[in-house]
Amino acid sequence: MNSAQIEIQLIASLVAVACAIPGTFLVLRKMAMISDAISHSILPGIVIGFFITHDLNSPLLIVLAALTGIITVVLVEYIQKTGLVKEDTAIGLVFPALFSIGVIMIAKNANDVHLDVDAVLLGELAFAPFDRLIIAGTDIGPKALWIIGVILLITLTLLIAFFKELKVSTFDKGLATSLGFSPAIIHYGLMSVSSVTTVGAFDAVGAILVVALMIAPAAAAYLLTTNLKKMLVLSVVFGIFSAILGYWVAHWLDASIAGSITTVLGLLFLAVYLFAPNKGIIAVLYREKQQRTEVSLITFLLHLKNHSEVEERHVNHLREHINWQKVRAKKVLDLALKNNMIHIDNNVVSLTEKGETFTSKAIDYIITNEDAQIEDMKDDFFLFRG
Amino acid sequence: MEQKIAVKVDDLTVAYNYKPVLWDIDLEIPESVLMAIVGPNGAGKSTLIKSILGILNPIAGSISIYDKPYDKQRQLVAYVPQKGSVDWDFPTTALDVVMMGTYGSLGWIKRPGQKQKKAALEALEKVGMLPFKNRQISQLSGGQQQRIFLARALVQNASIYFMDEPFQGVDATTEIAIINILKELRKAGKTVIVVHHDLQTVPEYFDWVTFLNVKKIATGPVKDIFNDDNLTKTYGINYKVSIQE
Amino acid sequence: MDLKEYFSLVFNDYTLRTITLGTAILGAVTGMLGSFAVLRKQSLLGDAISHAALPGIAIAFLITGAKDTNILLLGALVSGLIGTFWIRGIVKKTHLKSDTALGLILSLFFGFGMLLLTFIQKQPNANQAGLDKYLFGQAATLVESDVWLMAIVTGLCVLVLLLFWKEFKILLFDADYTKTLGFNTKTIDILITSFIVLAIVLGLQTVGVVLMSAMLLAPAAAARQWTNSLAKMVFLAAIFGAFSGVFGTAVSASQNNLSTGPVIVIVAAVFVVFSFIFSPSRGLLFKQIRFIKNRRDLKLHKTLAFMHQIAETHEDISHPHTIKILNNFQGYTKGTLKKLVDKGFVQLQGNMWSMTEKGYSTAANLYNQQTDSHE
Repeated sequence: MNSAQIEIQLIASLVAVACAIPGTFLVLRKMAMISDAISHSILPGIVIGFFITHDLNSPLLIVLAALTGIITVVLVEYIQKTGLVKEDTAIGLVFPALFSIGVIMIAKNANDVHLDVDAVLLGELAFAPFDRLIIAGTDIGPKALWIIGVILLITLTLLIAFFKELKVSTFDKGLATSLGFSPAIIHYGLMSVSSVTTVGAFDAVGAILVVALMIAPAAAAYLLTTNLKKMLVLSVVFGIFSAILGYWVAHWLDASIAGSITTVLGLLFLAVYLFAPNKGIIAVLYREKQQRTEVSLITFLLHLKNHSEVEERHVNHLREHINWQKVRAKKVLDLALKNNMIHIDNNVVSLTEKGETFTSKAIDYIITNEDAQIEDMKDDFFLFRG
Repeated sequence: MEQKIAVKVDDLTVAYNYKPVLWDIDLEIPESVLMAIVGPNGAGKSTLIKSILGILNPIAGSISIYDKPYDKQRQLVAYVPQKGSVDWDFPTTALDVVMMGTYGSLGWIKRPGQKQKKAALEALEKVGMLPFKNRQISQLSGGQQQRIFLARALVQNASIYFMDEPFQGVDATTEIAIINILKELRKAGKTVIVVHHDLQTVPEYFDWVTFLNVKKIATGPVKDIFNDDNLTKTYGINYKVSIQE
Repeated sequence: MDLKEYFSLVFNDYTLRTITLGTAILGAVTGMLGSFAVLRKQSLLGDAISHAALPGIAIAFLITGAKDTNILLLGALVSGLIGTFWIRGIVKKTHLKSDTALGLILSLFFGFGMLLLTFIQKQPNANQAGLDKYLFGQAATLVESDVWLMAIVTGLCVLVLLLFWKEFKILLFDADYTKTLGFNTKTIDILITSFIVLAIVLGLQTVGVVLMSAMLLAPAAAARQWTNSLAKMVFLAAIFGAFSGVFGTAVSASQNNLSTGPVIVIVAAVFVVFSFIFSPSRGLLFKQIRFIKNRRDLKLHKTLAFMHQIAETHEDISHPHTIKILNNFQGYTKGTLKKLVDKGFVQLQGNMWSMTEKGYSTAANLYNQQTDSHE
């Protein structure tokens, strides 16, 4: 590994971390698409900034572009407020329009602007190490590294300083207001950080990867934990992992680094989506199957408790009246028998004493404690274990 | 007097995310009653009518309408959803919405014609909304929107009407107008089932009531079963507080 | 070539005619279907689908090695559909919200597509150039068979719209109710969604994956402002879409180095801005004017009510009072007094004013109305 390679991986990792932090909050606040909008609509800001400064890495350009990001958010919210179109339409209208303006500006000034549209979408991470920051004649590393480093530092400082406020305003807006933090300030603060990060990362990894790096690690982490701190750490880890692995995949395929990092992110998300222990799709499907049986069982027990008439408790009644398929009815019957909940005499089903207590308790749980899941009850009865 | 059973619910259990919200409901609603379904928030009132109407899939149980499965008797049933369930900024007029009530009898592809339009206009007249027939629906007040929904159900010319909170967010005049129409329907031998949450008006408006809180607590004539005992069973000891709310 | 030249050539030049016809048809079909997407609150789904189509194009090329548009679009269709279903899967089976699912699929599929595109570019295969036209669209590459394909799909779409108009309308408005009427809502839903995906895929060559969603939304959002009828909205959206397509293509064709997509989007955006501001019933301008007028009316009413209070104290309601008293009242200006005189509510005699019978009863009614609405 030569030093340029190390630098590229370092830049990619820093970008990943800088994106993962605001991304986590965007995902939690159901505003993921805003990051897509910002990443597209800052383009005219960047182009105008470039006309003024003639330097893609100038701080002024970053400020201008970030300002465009904020303008996007304000514009979207303004259109939403007019009620002329639905909320999501407002986002969908604003960013393509701004992005188009940017693309046209680049095309019309192709000779003056060293930006091409491919670079806008994909970034030029591979060339990042060649643009050095030289202070007083000493080379202190690639410019991109410094820019994203500074942005990350600011983001981290803000995160640590306002962690409590961010957390409260994300999970309970009402509480946040009553505690005296203005949700609006937190909201626009987060939007500003997202915009600045997007601009800073834009040059290195392009518009689309910024979106991927903000949303995918956070979404994957959200499938694994609901604890905010753990989610932040996991997003960061996922981000760095994809950045480094993505770089080597690109190296091996001789293809775009940004595209390759996104692909690794995609595979990572797919893996988590499929295999996450509780929220993954396989676990969900398995649990749904389990729960279907369990709820059926409880339904069945309740039915027995409600009806003393013999004909209502006949084995065949399960099929005829409760309207279950034969297979499920048998399964439920077997489960209830195995757990000593019922006994069957002459094809008439009755609750055992254990079944009676269980059913009464189950009713109490459901009626008195609305939010209690069946899960809690399972712990009480050790019914479905083994 | 032996009354026919209009709606029969057998062992109905419904779960959201596998948590039961309705448990083993058995319910027989006789023909030609005006029935309120009452119960606290989250008791499953809307869920009950949505399951009867096949909008939600129950995990167990069966529904029959006049002794036949619901699927075969669909044309006998009309539904008034909660007003908040649709987008009132939708580009359509009051008359258009009422016309939708005829779509079921038309079936696929066939377009509504003069006959359907006439029926829709009559229904609008009945709810006192004829002057507003060409209004865009967002330009109607809450009460007027509710009347439009009622007119849409009337057009269906059904035997059984299910209504989800028809008095929510309507003005006093509309409330009286609606209840008068419902009483007329009952007189004409129709069965009307209303999810209702204003306990004070139950004895005045309805002649039949079902208490619901996940399980069915009681069902029967208002004069027989609308009492403190059932209210306490349904709402808990603090039911008087919920009346005041 | 400038714009004038372009339009004079449209009717003679074969290529230009093809392109213009193509973009007009495309604009019309996306406008129509976009109306449904907008009303179903699925505005951003189009964005996700169009981005998700990119890897399909690349894979179709990698497999066949050919640049046949139809095969590439078939690839796009397949991967667009996979993206759509994955989004549904994520929203349905996990606790991730739809915005996250959309953003995920959009960025991940697109990134993967870009990886494949850059990979293809490095291949020693002379045939690979031109795939990046799918990023921002290049109407100039449309050929007659493409236009035929668009025309057929559009014709099919119009036919289905006409046949199932009633079903589409009621599903969009009230899905639960539709179910109770005995319609299979899933079938209607799949029908609408498939046509939306198809329209997006058709537009990729002309507008490109990045901006295709705007083509779907903008004409519909603009059309919504001018009418309160779904049929008129769909029709207007088709017109706006077709016009954006043609005009955008004309501009981009008359300039060098300009992709069609961005120009079409800008034209469509102009339609939207114009509609938002100038629509008579919903537009911001007229809303503002109505707002100001209402405020003036309110002032007038307040002044009238104030006068009414004074007049009430006398048995003879038309007893004259000095104008000076009115100065104590905040809402009073000479303008409001003049308007009241014009309306015949008040009579002036030198420095004195008196209420007319008409003015008195109007004011009394005003008062009653207010107490009514307070109840």
